[in-house]
Amino acid sequence: MLEIFRNMFRRKLRTILTITGITVGIFAFTVMGSMALRFNKMISGGKSFITGQITVFPKGTSFTTGTTGLLPLDVLKRIEKVEGVEAVAAGVELALKEPDPDNPTGGAGLGIPPTIEGTDLDSGHRNRNWTTLDMKAGRFLQKGDLDSYVTVGYTIATDNNLKVGDKFAIRGRDFEVVGIVDQTLTGPDSYVFMPLKPARELLIESNPFLKSLKERSDEAAKISDAALASLPAESRKQILEARAFKFEDVTQVAAISWQDGQDPEAVVDRIKEQFKDEVMVLSPAKMGEQIDKASAIFNAIILGSAVIALIVGGFSIINTMIMSISERKKEIGIKKAIGASNSSIAWDYTLEAGFIGIVGGVIGMALGVLVAILINAKTKASGAEIFLIRAWFMAVVVGFSFVLGIIAGVIPALRASKMKVVDAIREL
Amino acid sequence: MSRTLIQAKNLRKKYQMSKTNIVQALDGVDIEVQEGDFSAIVGPSGCGKSTLLHILGLLDKLDEGEYNLDGLDTTKIREKDANQIRAKKIGFIFQGFNLIPSLTALENIMQAGKYGGLNARQRKERAEELLDVMGLQERKKHKPNELSGGQQQRVAIARALVNKPAIILADEPTGELDSATSKDIIDLLKKLNQENNQTFLMVTHNMEVAEMCKKIIRLKDGRNA
Ligand SMILES: Nc1ncnc2c1ncn2[C@@H]1O[C@H](COP(=O)(O)OP(=O)(O)OP(=O)(O)O)[C@@H](O)[C@H]1O
Ligand SMILES: [Mg+2]
Repeated sequence: MLEIFRNMFRRKLRTILTITGITVGIFAFTVMGSMALRFNKMISGGKSFITGQITVFPKGTSFTTGTTGLLPLDVLKRIEKVEGVEAVAAGVELALKEPDPDNPTGGAGLGIPPTIEGTDLDSGHRNRNWTTLDMKAGRFLQKGDLDSYVTVGYTIATDNNLKVGDKFAIRGRDFEVVGIVDQTLTGPDSYVFMPLKPARELLIESNPFLKSLKERSDEAAKISDAALASLPAESRKQILEARAFKFEDVTQVAAISWQDGQDPEAVVDRIKEQFKDEVMVLSPAKMGEQIDKASAIFNAIILGSAVIALIVGGFSIINTMIMSISERKKEIGIKKAIGASNSSIAWDYTLEAGFIGIVGGVIGMALGVLVAILINAKTKASGAEIFLIRAWFMAVVVGFSFVLGIIAGVIPALRASKMKVVDAIREL
Repeated sequence: MSRTLIQAKNLRKKYQMSKTNIVQALDGVDIEVQEGDFSAIVGPSGCGKSTLLHILGLLDKLDEGEYNLDGLDTTKIREKDANQIRAKKIGFIFQGFNLIPSLTALENIMQAGKYGGLNARQRKERAEELLDVMGLQERKKHKPNELSGGQQQRVAIARALVNKPAIILADEPTGELDSATSKDIIDLLKKLNQENNQTFLMVTHNMEVAEMCKKIIRLKDGRNA
């Protein structure tokens, strides 16, 4: 065992170069792998959410309100009556902070930016997979909560230093934190959950188009029916149109749950059929498939980086071992002459390669983790972290590099063990 | 009557360099070694001394002939068994620089014990005991490159003795030593032979060394001379 270490350091430069080769490969593997872990985690959270409900978006054309991108209350009411539908929950979404005029997209756009989720507390909707979020403190929003209550995600709480009971100013309005969701490492970490009404108000406030619609509708509402009747046909039409805008129609997305025992895909088909002009329906099964495809591509990238690590590291180990074995031919001859078995010689050299692999692996893994931590710290400010560092993955990486060394070492080692002793002895 | 350790008849070994160039290194050699022998193989360079020693030490295979080692017909054994026999029955000493460079004197000696099947404690005890015999206690932590030629050869002798082999084969054990050191080494081997009845078979060029041996086996052109 000791001999293995000493042999590794006998040819310091060469060993260092070999280790460097593995380090580079394993570094890439660690970084890509941690990225994939984060991505897969995000995706699997997203997947279980998206496959636990039917999600509908406005189609964007031929809306009664004339606005694009809204789901009128009337449509939602009608969807609720479709066979198999249990409940429909309206929702709105907007960025937590007003966009910075100098940087409207908001930083690097990594991960999920802090987002307000307007949540319909009165609907009986429930996601089949995400029934509850674990709470770190306090409680989640519930039916009957005040409009000023919010529940915040883990990252929001950490970044804004929030505790349950704290005041939290959002876009110029004061809210009170009633709960903090435990870390999910996915979307909800960056969410502020608030009741639908204040979220709608903030959305209208933030959106110039909606804002003007609302102002016109408010103006129009002031005009009495009597006054309206006396107006010219053209103006009357405009005012009636303006009045048609309803606060309750400001819904950007709706989540639909299906009744127990119903086939969600059949429900999706019915909604699609009846509302083909009004909504876009995301079927749980299709979304699941698409997500699987996306994660398959990402996982292929990881596998690719592992293969590169394998090739780069593996060949440098093979090369080094062949060189060091031909250098130590004499030594192998002596060992055999004094009775070493073939297997003990093969084992020694294989282990040596394995150790080279493990040293390179540990260094590469450590560097990869370090870089991941540094980048995470940087990107945390502008969204979420890109890398997910997991102890089990670190262990897998080191194990992988050891196995890589063993595999790369085994061929030269077997060659060494089969060497004809006399040839080696003759060189003495 | 003492035990016959080596009984070999009509040993033949050729090396094929190319289609037309065949070297008949051994061309029908007979050799016998009894327990307690202290014999020298002598002969001109290229006469097949090393080849003979390698075949007797199961490092190489013979083409023709009979070879019994301590009652065992070696012509039919497999490589795996040969490794074991070498570990347990045979000790080797070569011309020089035949220690493992990355190991200390003590570790070099212990390593042979490992191949011979001694456990860690037995190896250590045996190696320490042999270091005493060789007068190398002071040097046991030294690597081969920190030892003189004579000291290296003593370590090699200790290593050959670890598993209490039936016979020690030595190929020019004094080949790279000056004459004073050579004499010390041969005296040491002789002492081991006399005190422990350790059997030695050595190849040598040096007639002075050969004359110190009890028996001389002469070779010429791959035959007994
Ligand atoms: N591997 C080999 N391939 C070809 N020929 C060989 C090989 N090994 C030995 N020979 C030849 O076999 C013959 C005997 O060689 P060997 O080494 O046994 O001689 P030796 O008596 O030990 O000589 P020296 O005293 O110089 O060591 C020589 O002619 C040598 O050239
Ligand atoms: Mg020779």
